[in-house]
Amino acid sequence: MRIELDRPRCEGHGLCEEAAPKLMHLDDDGELVIDVPEVDGLNLVAAEAAVRVCPVAALRLAA
Amino acid sequence: MAVPTESDIDIWDDNILVDPYPTYAALREQADVVYLPKNDLYVLTRYDIIRDALGDPESFSSTSIGFNPMVNEALQGTSLASDPPVHTQLRATLSENLTPRALRGLKVVIDEKADKRVAELAASGSFEAIDSLARAFPIEIVADLIGFQGHVKDNMLRWGQAAMQVLGPLNQRTQENFPIAGELYGWCSSVTAEDLTPGSIGRGIFDAETRGDIPQGTAGHIIHQYLGAGVDTTIASIGNIIALFGHHPEQFKLVRENPALVPAAFAEVLRYWAPIHVWGRKATRDVEIDGVTIPAGAQVGILFGAGNRDPRHYENPDTFDVLRNPVDHLAFGYGPHGCAGQGLAKLEAHAIIEALARRVESLTISDEVRVPSNMTRSFDELQVVKVVAA
Repeated sequence: MRIELDRPRCEGHGLCEEAAPKLMHLDDDGELVIDVPEVDGLNLVAAEAAVRVCPVAALRLAA
Repeated sequence: MAVPTESDIDIWDDNILVDPYPTYAALREQADVVYLPKNDLYVLTRYDIIRDALGDPESFSSTSIGFNPMVNEALQGTSLASDPPVHTQLRATLSENLTPRALRGLKVVIDEKADKRVAELAASGSFEAIDSLARAFPIEIVADLIGFQGHVKDNMLRWGQAAMQVLGPLNQRTQENFPIAGELYGWCSSVTAEDLTPGSIGRGIFDAETRGDIPQGTAGHIIHQYLGAGVDTTIASIGNIIALFGHHPEQFKLVRENPALVPAAFAEVLRYWAPIHVWGRKATRDVEIDGVTIPAGAQVGILFGAGNRDPRHYENPDTFDVLRNPVDHLAFGYGPHGCAGQGLAKLEAHAIIEALARRVESLTISDEVRVPSNMTRSFDELQVVKVVAA
């Protein structure tokens, strides 16, 4: 699965980074960077958690 | 297709507004969707259904977030009351100054102000928590942020409260508050850059309008939303923090012993006592939920507090537990309309909780007074009869 970010919708709340710090981070400007876009196994579980906690629904998983 | 089951309650009944959780539990056990003939309203009661609806603006439109036609008419053209794709640009303009990245520079100032205020109260032996903390702190922060001064600052509390009340149905509270909300609306329609403190975010919004970065005439709208949405709700949350720590000293002790729990504690305060009682949507089509149909055009009411106590989603939902860390609670809403000010709300509330953890050893409360309010559930008065400084 691939993590997809709706960039205009992202406001940098950072809950996704807390849920999946190995997969994504907020850079020094507060912009979200997806470090590991393609995920499976344990990374997929973490990615699902990150998608789930985004308060503005800016992240999704696509096949 | 079946029609939803009904309940003959009035969701804006005074007793329900003050203590809604038994009613929420009954409605939630009845069904996902319950029709309330007295309010001509379809309420959503369970966590998953609420979250799905908030994430589906194509089926649940925000053109009817309030519960009377006048207020919905007055809100047309704001990000609050619009749907994608129009919503997307309005939201970006509104939230530009409110995102965590935009607010980073404010953290030090907000922390210092919270610490000073809480230290003074902790040293005072006893205090009334709503006027001296829950109201005073967010009013000071928002006034400085937007650049309100003079009579506007003095009116922030009543204007902010009225802006929420008038979202209700055409009951007495709504009728009484329309003139006050009208004062705010009138001021926001005529406010100019010079009315706001130089260097403030409010002044910056007018500068953006002058540059043409945002459409002419939108600056006043944005200021209106900051005040309408950012005052009454934050006041409710801060009052709830004090009350819940007073009711649950063992939970406060956990936070004092481990300040890393501050964000989790605030999320739990919001889950346990949602500041906003009910929020509106309009069904854009016949929407089927669990075998029943909400008809196209129907007014929908989202019960955040009912979803936040859904045992299908949270274990022991009626227990206040600062170790739970419910980051997916519904009190800020969710999705494209998720609270635009949640970054600021967290900065303010985290600063208060950190200051309490640092400055207060214990607090004893009494005389909690709640006054029924159409949209916000908060304390009107809360005596801290004894506070022991740390």
